Amino acid sequence: MFFGFLGMTYEFKWSVLWTQPYLTWLIDGLLTTLRLASISWCIAIFFGIIFGAMRTVPFRPVRAIATFYVEFFRNVPLLVWLFFWYFGAPEAFPEVIRQWFIRHGIEFWSAVAAISVYHGARFAEVIRAGIQAIPRTQLEAGLSSGLSVVATYRLIIIPIALRLIVPPATNESLNLLKNTSLAMTIGVAELTFAARQVETYSAKAVEALTSAALIYLVFCLSISSVMNWIEAKFAIPGLIARGARAEH
Amino acid sequence: MKRFGFIFLLALLVAALAGTSFAQVQPTLEKIKTSGVFTIGVRNGSPPFSFINKQNERAGFSNDLAELVHKAIEKKLEKQIKLEMKETSPTTRIPLLTSMAVDLVTETMTDTRARRDSVDFSLTFFVTGADFIVKKGSPIKGTKDIAGKRIGTQQGSTNERVLREKYTQAQLVSFPDQAAAFMALQQGKLDAYCNDAIQLWGLKYKSATPDQWVVVGDWISYEPYGMAMRKNDSDFRAVVNNALMEAIEGGEYFKLYDKWFGTKGEVPYPMSQAFKSFLLYQVVPK
Repeated sequence: MFFGFLGMTYEFKWSVLWTQPYLTWLIDGLLTTLRLASISWCIAIFFGIIFGAMRTVPFRPVRAIATFYVEFFRNVPLLVWLFFWYFGAPEAFPEVIRQWFIRHGIEFWSAVAAISVYHGARFAEVIRAGIQAIPRTQLEAGLSSGLSVVATYRLIIIPIALRLIVPPATNESLNLLKNTSLAMTIGVAELTFAARQVETYSAKAVEALTSAALIYLVFCLSISSVMNWIEAKFAIPGLIARGARAEH
Repeated sequence: MKRFGFIFLLALLVAALAGTSFAQVQPTLEKIKTSGVFTIGVRNGSPPFSFINKQNERAGFSNDLAELVHKAIEKKLEKQIKLEMKETSPTTRIPLLTSMAVDLVTETMTDTRARRDSVDFSLTFFVTGADFIVKKGSPIKGTKDIAGKRIGTQQGSTNERVLREKYTQAQLVSFPDQAAAFMALQQGKLDAYCNDAIQLWGLKYKSATPDQWVVVGDWISYEPYGMAMRKNDSDFRAVVNNALMEAIEGGEYFKLYDKWFGTKGEVPYPMSQAFKSFLLYQVVPK
């Protein structure tokens, strides 16, 4: 009815979403998206912490390596990285390993590599910003109390930095979840793929894509509320001057 | 003032509604006559039907047939008409037709009963069926060998649907475009790639090493190609169909077939006697 003015007469049929096999496709797609996002997120966070910390240490070669990683990986579009990790990188592996990956979901693992390395570079920047927001005196105080550089980082700098970066890291995490939809281009049957599949089989584009949009929305909102909770829970009293923050 | 803005918006909306519903009923021939432009939907990667050739020009069997339709339209309207080409894909071609952006989708669209709910088709100008392309020496000879194998398909294609429904043992990997799927096959990431046989022959001959690739199988689906147009526009449909019938009757169709599928053509693919008879039987008397 509403679409009448676009020059099309469109009949809504929301029931396609819970008829079989469409429902199973959507659920399978959602599970793949969640698996892809959570594995990539863990690796990305790991890379982010390592390289983010390396970018701030007072030792030039270490900083140079980390800077190279960040600038190289974040300045190429993710879609290009997906093609690289799927069509390019596996060819460099020995045949046995390559065959093993081919038999064990190479599309999925290429997508994990692309997303985690790309978002790792972006997380590294977030963490570097967090570390650099900590006054230099903290590092000096740590060193003068007899701790090594690594111990100062591990015990003082990184725990504070991790708290500072919760809001931007939430942002990055949401981007990561949404960016998993690009994995469709290398044949990973994730949520957007499933929605497109439902669309081509049922010719119900609006319903299929709306359902995908709603699912992404629900998961992104849950992530941000969990992160808000984490931020409040682990806040160090008196560390950060806050305005009157709305309690959730 | 606020009130005025609201009324103004409402007026715009009504005008838009009226405008589009008027456009909706405008017959294609009239639209072509007033605009002086005939827009066809083509592809850049479906050799030898519709693709971009080495000279970076749009070419192909379907495009050549569309030229014949173009001439027929000019003759019918007694007016010089400009031929415009617009890129389409399996997911965009029907919306492009219904929104009037394209008048005729020529490329490689399979005529199906489900699609006839949304668009009308010309008579069938080519028939093919889904097969598999494999590396020379592959154990896959047809559908009986695909269980547990990694089979590439094109997202949203009719043959993907057949595979998914009838051959549930195969491990399907769907790609948005043919180039990516064929690359994955070349790198050994797929055991076979399934698509319309003629397109697989196209891929084989377009590849750097044509004799490395074999097309196997015996049509797991039937894919008759037709040109798609907006529904319920019989005058335009008659012009398109008459152009095709005259081409078949007058022999131009076979000349074009020979140009693209003959022994010296882009994709050598001899015409079967059955297909030839089928084409001729589609031509109704003058």
